[in-house]
Amino acid sequence: MHHVVLERWSRGASPLHRRDPRAKFAALLVFLVVLATAHRALPLLAGAFLLLLGGTLVWARVPLAGAFRRAALVLPFTLLAGAVCWLGGDPARGVGLVLKSYLSALAVLTVVSTTPLPLLLRGLELVGAPRFLLMVAQFLYRYLFVISEEAQHMRSAAASRGFGRRSGGFRAAAGALAVLFARSYARAADIHRAMLARAFPGRFHTLGTLRFRVADAAFLALAALAPALIRAAIERLA
Amino acid sequence: MVAPAGFGSPGGTFLPLVLPCCVGVHIYDGFLSTPVWVAMDVAAAPAVGYMVRRAQRQFEESRIPLLGVMGAFVFAAQMINFPVGIGTSGHLVGGALLACTLGPAAAGVVLCAIIAIQALVFQDGGILALGPNLINMAILGVLAGYLPYYLWGGTPWRRVAIFAGGALSVMVSAIMALAELLISGVPMSRSVVGVSLTLFLVSALLEGAITLAVVQALEAIQPGFVRQPAAGRSFARGALGLAAVVLAAVGFLFASTAPDGIESLGHTTGMDHVRRLFTTPLAGYQLALAGEPWLRKTAAGLAGIAIVYGACLLIGRSVARRGRA
Repeated sequence: MHHVVLERWSRGASPLHRRDPRAKFAALLVFLVVLATAHRALPLLAGAFLLLLGGTLVWARVPLAGAFRRAALVLPFTLLAGAVCWLGGDPARGVGLVLKSYLSALAVLTVVSTTPLPLLLRGLELVGAPRFLLMVAQFLYRYLFVISEEAQHMRSAAASRGFGRRSGGFRAAAGALAVLFARSYARAADIHRAMLARAFPGRFHTLGTLRFRVADAAFLALAALAPALIRAAIERLA
Repeated sequence: MVAPAGFGSPGGTFLPLVLPCCVGVHIYDGFLSTPVWVAMDVAAAPAVGYMVRRAQRQFEESRIPLLGVMGAFVFAAQMINFPVGIGTSGHLVGGALLACTLGPAAAGVVLCAIIAIQALVFQDGGILALGPNLINMAILGVLAGYLPYYLWGGTPWRRVAIFAGGALSVMVSAIMALAELLISGVPMSRSVVGVSLTLFLVSALLEGAITLAVVQALEAIQPGFVRQPAAGRSFARGALGLAAVVLAAVGFLFASTAPDGIESLGHTTGMDHVRRLFTTPLAGYQLALAGEPWLRKTAAGLAGIAIVYGACLLIGRSVARRGRA
């Protein structure tokens, strides 16, 4: 499997990596809500939150520039929405919208880049998210790269046979997708049989149980208080 | 409308692939006003729970790999370009195709998983905006995409139904997203709304054409992939139901663009000062009594969703009863 940069980051060994996924997710929610409900002195607040998240990323030994660049994936669409606000005569809202969505993406990235996805999903399951859905998500993530590569191969094969965009390929593209669908379906059947052969009990086992320790509670308290206090201080000052 | 999200990384790039938001129009954290995302999150939780239960009843747990792999298929399908005209191409969005092959509940679950993975791993969509995105695409999008097929999938109008399903699924989720942005107070002039609606219409028609082409190709490979709905539902009743759903969505949009009656009333009568007294000192957003514009807007939004829900439910019930009779 090709390495995905996020996957590599999430296997690190910093104090933040060791925290319970539930604590991290709860802290993330608090941060997002504090940010989403803020209206006053937004640029100042955004600067402070950027420092907070940047500090957290450095603490977690996640490459800072890489994380900032990756969070910038939200920018194309966000800048468009910001421009719409600006043109609509509300530049402050446009700026706020761009700042908020960038910081939210960075916050999500901070959690996801310090928690392997299976652990994060397991944590969500323990707080009551439907297991069926989470298992589907887990399988989706596992096979995302496999099926994507298969599609990539099909595309290369088509291109190497001189199959360009000009040669009226709407039906051919539909055929290719249908083949991809059939292959994915067959692969799912194979996976299912292999799982049955290995006595799949209907749920995933994780190595080691998740335990919510004192350190996790302390982290959660600190991580939940920090953004709230920063916002209160800035709103008092501004 | 389409946010490219690559695997760009400093060290080594993963596949040189671009993953545009594959299930339609994503809303990011920070786009919606607090009452709107809170209301949509609250509405999404039971809806997703219900859908998961239905899917679970239909697919025993051992079939989970199928749903996961089909979600991966929808992701990968972005890489197959469908040429349309000179230099432009589209790609499959997938809601209606999944509904025609796996059934609506399972398709909804697959789309939920896709939207969650996109928000977590690909920075495409937000966590607080998960509720709005799930309702727009995984619930209403799938229902709207399946409805025409459910009604006319067994009649000579089958091809039209598949086409309409693809188009409707994209159109309904796009209209919902647009309406939520408008309710949140994103200032959009009529021309901006018009241009977006035109773009949505074009991509909706494209999605209809792609869905139809793929379903036909699938049936050529193996007919068993595509579900066969019961034949001969009432045409008039179906058309009526479909019109109701479309009208509810469009009406929702128009309600969200309507001028703020109570707000202007407040300005003219000097009620503004009174209202300011009730705001909490704690936060920038107003957490005050009834009559606040956001409360009204949220109520309007929830009413809109309730109407769409109700329309779908009533049509479903009546059609089911007819089917049994």
